[in-house]
Amino acid sequence: MKNKRSLFAVPYVIWMALFVVIPIIIMLVYSLTVTVDTAQGEVLQGSLSNFTGMTLYASVFGRSFWLALVATLICLALGYPAAYLMSREGEGFKRVAMALIMLPMWMNFLLRTYSWMAILENNGLLNQLLRKLGIIALYNRLTGSDIEYFQMIRTPGAVVLGMVYNYLPFMILPIYTVLTKLDPKLIEAAQDLGANSATVFRRVTLPLSVSGIVSGVTMVFVPSVSTFAISRLLGGGTQMMLGDLIENQFLGGAYNPHLGAAISMVMMVIVVICMLVMNHFGDGEGEAVML
Amino acid sequence: MSKELIRLKDVTMSFDGETVLDNLNIYFNDKEFLTLLGPSGCGKTTTLRIIGGFQTPTSGDVFFDGVRINDVPPHLRKVNTVFQKYALFPHLNVYDNVAFGLRIPKEADGGADKPGKRQTVKLSKSEIDARVREMLEIVSLKGFEHRSVTSLSGGQQQRVAIARALVNRPKVLLLDEPLGALDMRLRKDMQQELKRIQQQMEITFIYVTHDQEEALAMSDTVVVMNEGKIQQIGTPEDIYNEPKNAFVADFIGESNIVDGIMREDRVVEIFNRRFACLDAGFEKDEPVDVVIRPEDVDIVGEAEGQLRGVVTSVTFKGVHYDTIVDFYGFKWLIQTTDYCPVDSHIGIRIDPDGIHVMKKSKYSGMFGDYSSYSEEYDEINREEPEVSGDEE
Amino acid sequence: MKKNGVGGRSLIGLCLLFLYLPIFLLIFFSFNAGDSSAVWKGFSLHWYAELFRNRLVIEGLATTLLVSLLATAISTVAGTFAAIGIYNLTKKWRDPILVVNDLPMMNADIVTGVSLCLFFVAFFHGWGSIAAWLNSWQSLIRFPTRLTLGLGTLLIAHVSFNIPYVILNVSPRLRQMDRNLVEAAQDLGCTWFQAFYKVILPEIKPGIVSGALIAFTMSVDDFVISYFTAGSSTQTLSMVIYGMTKKRVTPVVNAVSTLMFLAVLVVLVINNIRSARQAQLAAKRASFEPVPESPRVQRIKEWAATPKGRLTRRIVAGVLCAAFVTVTVFLTAFTTSRPVVNVCSWGEYIDEDLIDEFEEQTGIRVNYQTAESNEALYSLLSNGGADYDVVVPSDYMISQLIEEGMLEELDYSQIPNFEKISDRFKNLPYDPENKYTVPYTWGTVGIIYNESLVDEEIHSWSALYDDKYAGQVLLINNSRDAFGIALKYLGYSMNTTDEGEIRQAYELVRDAYERGIFQGKVMDEVFQTMEGGNASFATYYAGDYLSMLENNEDLRFVVPDEGSNWFVDAMCVLKDAPNYENALKWINFIASTDSNLRNMDYIWYASPNEEALELYPQWYEEQYGEELDPEIYSIMAAPQEVLDRCEMYVCLPKATRALYNELWIRLGI
Repeated sequence: MKNKRSLFAVPYVIWMALFVVIPIIIMLVYSLTVTVDTAQGEVLQGSLSNFTGMTLYASVFGRSFWLALVATLICLALGYPAAYLMSREGEGFKRVAMALIMLPMWMNFLLRTYSWMAILENNGLLNQLLRKLGIIALYNRLTGSDIEYFQMIRTPGAVVLGMVYNYLPFMILPIYTVLTKLDPKLIEAAQDLGANSATVFRRVTLPLSVSGIVSGVTMVFVPSVSTFAISRLLGGGTQMMLGDLIENQFLGGAYNPHLGAAISMVMMVIVVICMLVMNHFGDGEGEAVML
Repeated sequence: MSKELIRLKDVTMSFDGETVLDNLNIYFNDKEFLTLLGPSGCGKTTTLRIIGGFQTPTSGDVFFDGVRINDVPPHLRKVNTVFQKYALFPHLNVYDNVAFGLRIPKEADGGADKPGKRQTVKLSKSEIDARVREMLEIVSLKGFEHRSVTSLSGGQQQRVAIARALVNRPKVLLLDEPLGALDMRLRKDMQQELKRIQQQMEITFIYVTHDQEEALAMSDTVVVMNEGKIQQIGTPEDIYNEPKNAFVADFIGESNIVDGIMREDRVVEIFNRRFACLDAGFEKDEPVDVVIRPEDVDIVGEAEGQLRGVVTSVTFKGVHYDTIVDFYGFKWLIQTTDYCPVDSHIGIRIDPDGIHVMKKSKYSGMFGDYSSYSEEYDEINREEPEVSGDEE
Repeated sequence: MKKNGVGGRSLIGLCLLFLYLPIFLLIFFSFNAGDSSAVWKGFSLHWYAELFRNRLVIEGLATTLLVSLLATAISTVAGTFAAIGIYNLTKKWRDPILVVNDLPMMNADIVTGVSLCLFFVAFFHGWGSIAAWLNSWQSLIRFPTRLTLGLGTLLIAHVSFNIPYVILNVSPRLRQMDRNLVEAAQDLGCTWFQAFYKVILPEIKPGIVSGALIAFTMSVDDFVISYFTAGSSTQTLSMVIYGMTKKRVTPVVNAVSTLMFLAVLVVLVINNIRSARQAQLAAKRASFEPVPESPRVQRIKEWAATPKGRLTRRIVAGVLCAAFVTVTVFLTAFTTSRPVVNVCSWGEYIDEDLIDEFEEQTGIRVNYQTAESNEALYSLLSNGGADYDVVVPSDYMISQLIEEGMLEELDYSQIPNFEKISDRFKNLPYDPENKYTVPYTWGTVGIIYNESLVDEEIHSWSALYDDKYAGQVLLINNSRDAFGIALKYLGYSMNTTDEGEIRQAYELVRDAYERGIFQGKVMDEVFQTMEGGNASFATYYAGDYLSMLENNEDLRFVVPDEGSNWFVDAMCVLKDAPNYENALKWINFIASTDSNLRNMDYIWYASPNEEALELYPQWYEEQYGEELDPEIYSIMAAPQEVLDRCEMYVCLPKATRALYNELWIRLGI
């Protein structure tokens, strides 16, 4: 009786096999081959050169992971307190705050990022504001330099800002969800056993919200490490990231899908390993995600 | 016998204009087992939470050892709580749950008296270990140290919760319906276990329950509460034998509560018949409530009876029969080992010590008639664990 | 529990401010009279009016909504059943399936996109022979032999990444559900499906709803996966915007986003008020006070229970379903109507009125797309994702495409306007016998600089490598141009194949890069940056300089004395183009004198049409009532002595291209 119902999963399993598993296998195949010119035209040939040649991009890997890590940590530093404070508010406030945090996702993310360009440009709104406030003049007087603006766009900082801005809600939501589900009795129990607020937070609240932190970190880190739109818009091409590199191999100037597939594979493996390690810390409940 | 430890003075508590505790005055003695008993919503859990420090009374004071502690946060109070659904930390195993409180540096004794000189003491690892193991042994959980708390049965979780609280050697242990989630047999076992632990540890237990049997079986003192007010304080025997008003009489055990008139000392008139009793000190001809416990009534032949009635239903209860008898339109419950068939006409006799006379109260006339016997019976047996959260 | 004080709340407020600041700016500038997103020129609603005329945006919006709605509907139904299936599986099967379910969520979007793209392309490669075999074997259904990325693949991709979210939201609800519920319903006489409908569905409904909402949100907001799986002829709003961010985002996009934003805001506010009221009711109920429903609600409920009410309820449900189907069909029709010609050109490279005019004249729908660069176009064409008919590559890329057999010969008898193309632009080296191309525009590459930021007159490429201008120079983000200019500066040919010379050019650029001369690498982003006075130097095309000049009068253009590149962009038809005839009609239409005049006026690139080129100053005067500045004209249509200094790119041999690529990547990191 019961097993018959499990047949409902069959179409889904087939779909996922076809459009999730097989594509990844094809990507693996691509990454292990190269096209070679022969008399009969171009043919595929098995090769590891895509991987061995990747040392050339070590610094791109390094930059991507570094910037994504910084962005994730900033998101955590901002998002955890926000989620924590929100979870302590009354129902009405909570509902409104949640809605307000979800809402920006409905404004196209490229457009939101583009809006930051207008803010961060050398002659942009922020620099104009700083100039009007006399902060740039003050800076010049203090340091004896002579600048007309602070260079903000096309710096690693701008890219990190873009990541934090775009993915902060993904950090807040899962942590918030876990914290609201936290039984207030546990907090009382800890107080009862002599813990002051700081101890309660460190010994009870924090350990019990680890699963939220894990999914938040995942949801910020993964898109950050692989972004190409943010680095292109706010990094101005100077902050090449893995996403740019991959995109470039498929739809950009340096057409080489085999290399692109190989880089994607490596990135995927590294990310999956990171996540497995993380999940090991947060009791593996991959379920706290969003809402 | 022993000295006073906690006192609530004129404590009133209201949420959103709704009064939950109404001018409560009560004290708790050292080393006693005191039970707060009452139906759900009577304010007993709130009282407990005020003592624990989780709620601050709207008005009135709380004293601990003579010191006012209204504003002392829970973590600085020398009381510990066993929560209703245990509130065990799911991320810690049995051992770590129990050790939780010990691992928190405490202010040295007397530190609270000298503000500005906050000395903390931290227990050594070996001491913590010794105390945790000792406690686990007391609650019979030796060998469970490294089990995850979520894998334990209800009774085992209960023991962990008790151990976790007691290991801190509190002066007072607060227990909020701790046996509510357990099944009948386990409850009985745990009742004895708790009593044993209390005697072994020699500390005060303040126990909240809505189960009168539990209260009578375990307590030194029972406090019956209703609608935010204390109805009666006394030993289990007092409460059962000398209920102060119709509410207490009805809530504790079974009782027939009938209107009577105190004709003179030791004579009360029920249904126009005079009965000898042991009560005195009422005004002449004062209207009173009369409590007659079902087991204090003897069934005799119709002719010999002080009152005559007709049997309307009989239920076999094992040791005895629950017999409902109609006396002049008022139905009594009588528990007797004699079988009287339905519709038989019988008489009853009541000894003077079987009659208990109470002053009239706001509860007069609300209880004691067994016209709707089965419904009322259900109500008594219904388990309705009080969720403290809904009072917030 | 303790509430937060002012400090806590203001921290939440600051977080929200951070999230909303750019959004307020976007909304604010959607009312800007000017077209900048940084300079306020007065209040105006004209971008909202413009919105309904901007096809790119409207079509993008339609595609986005269509795909999101369909994908949400499909994945919600499929995901719900899948969740029930998974719930009933034994643990042995469930765990591996849940791992696979997590994959699309754990994986970076770009990996999902890339793997799907590769999968589709591989499948399409194999499909040709399968379809041929199927067609030869039976004649009932004609299977198309040539498949391309498009709406279908986009939909598949969206469904694939949406299903996991639905499952993730439905599964916990199922687990919370009392397992006995279904049995109780069956015990009371329900079949399993009745039990499903009457018991399971209401129980898991909140999960389904939130799953569907998340799926829809993800679909609408998705860019990366769409970017890799939509191919060339389908563009979601995100892709349209991405195309624009490189050049200049028209405030029309701000307008459309503002409208979407407001729509969602309204829905959220209503929803919030409703749930707040429900929470109030629930709170009252919890205090044991029976709260009667408001009389209005009660009346509605009573009415809904009457036969008439039931009927109406069904009718309303039917109408809603019908509306959904109609909208879907309409959106489908809107996004896929035929006949059609697929054109791929560069951004801001046509007077869009010409497209409307062509459509009116011929009834052929023009699917107008843009590519970023010649190299990007080449990538698109090689990975089989594109199904363009007409492309407009530059000279050297044309010869590469011809060499690789990717272009179709043109039937010039159907392009009478080819006559009018100046002989100077016929039989050029990239297409010596002129069998494949009709020139579209031509021009030069030079230095654009901001006079107000540079106090000397610029004549040499040396300015681009000068420490004096550190942090002020925008490097062109294209290996051919960046190294070509360096080669020219060093006195070599731009078309050299000598590895030593190329490496020397690379060293020059790298050295400047390391000294911090370059502020960034840009292509079309150059517009915004230069117009806003955010950099002093850029290398770009003459025509684009003239566009920028309209927005910033301080800009100057010069073709340096060392010489530069001159180029021709020409229209070609791809091999096996599905709409060959339509493509020729389009090419002929664009080659006409009138089209060339209007294009020249709109994009400021010189026309290869002899007549148009000569007529332009006169036409300009008629149009605007003022004389065309001869200097502007000479920048647009460079005189012969400037062209003599310049070189046209030729297709480099593969080894040299590989060298360019390697060096360029080295530079980028």
